[in-house]
Amino acid sequence: MKWATRSGCHVDRVACAWLIRTFIDPDAAFVFVGDPAEVPADATPFDMRGAELSHHGADCTFETMLRRYELDDPVLWDVGRIVHEADLADETFDAPEARGLDVLMRGLSMVRGDEDILALTGPLFDGLYEYRSRALMLGRDPS
Amino acid sequence: MVTNLEPVSRSWVLLVYRLPREPSAPRIALWRKLRRLGVAQLADGLVALPLDARNKEQLEWLADQVIENGGEASIWLADPSSSIDERSIAAKLAAEIAAEYRGIVGEASAAATLDAPAQRRAVSRLRRELIRIRQRDLFPPSERDRAFAAVEELAHRAEALT
Repeated sequence: MKWATRSGCHVDRVACAWLIRTFIDPDAAFVFVGDPAEVPADATPFDMRGAELSHHGADCTFETMLRRYELDDPVLWDVGRIVHEADLADETFDAPEARGLDVLMRGLSMVRGDEDILALTGPLFDGLYEYRSRALMLGRDPS
Repeated sequence: MVTNLEPVSRSWVLLVYRLPREPSAPRIALWRKLRRLGVAQLADGLVALPLDARNKEQLEWLADQVIENGGEASIWLADPSSSIDERSIAAKLAAEIAAEYRGIVGEASAAATLDAPAQRRAVSRLRRELIRIRQRDLFPPSERDRAFAAVEELAHRAEALT
């Protein structure tokens, strides 16, 4: 399936792309556009104004996707808490990891293009998922 | 008050919005979010932020939220036609933020008389507060450095007492 989002990826879009490839559509192909009008007809837009898969109410796009695809894995919602705070910093959640994640994603977008960012952040989010999964299992941060 | 206001002359992103009076919950939620972003309120239903990708995106999400809540909203990019207009807006924003930084300095000096554990708690709280203020500090006033220095001084003091 083809997916489209805005170019100049930041944390919410990066996390969504990882979510799509890992949990929704392993064969996902991504296109990056400057304006919602440039989304190809056969692509599903996300994290763009007017798209169904976007911010809704208090949710960032990552959380919208979890709801839309009925992904009720508590680890994904835990990752979603971090993504939400990294993207919106509205203190809905206590997520001290978020500031660090926000800085790393901003820095990365200064030195790499969107394709590269998605390739580089895949393993990073795999790791974040694994870390939070162990933390939830142990009831404390894993060493 | 000394501020780094020049040379401003840059583009701004504007959110024009109209939201029904009732229900009031979406209005309050919107107001909180606008405040967190540190917008300049130019008129009723018209707010502005200096243009960058993040500010534009944040206002776009709010525009969608207004529309979802039955209101009307649109996003515009604008250049002020005179630098005087722009400076007065920037000065107003900087003055509001400066007052918040002065509040931090006051709280830090008040905490200096507490015992070491209370000082350490005050340090963590004030550091979090500084992060919040800095998020909407678009035209950093000179009070910023003073506020950060005051909190670090309190941290040293707490350290010395331990």
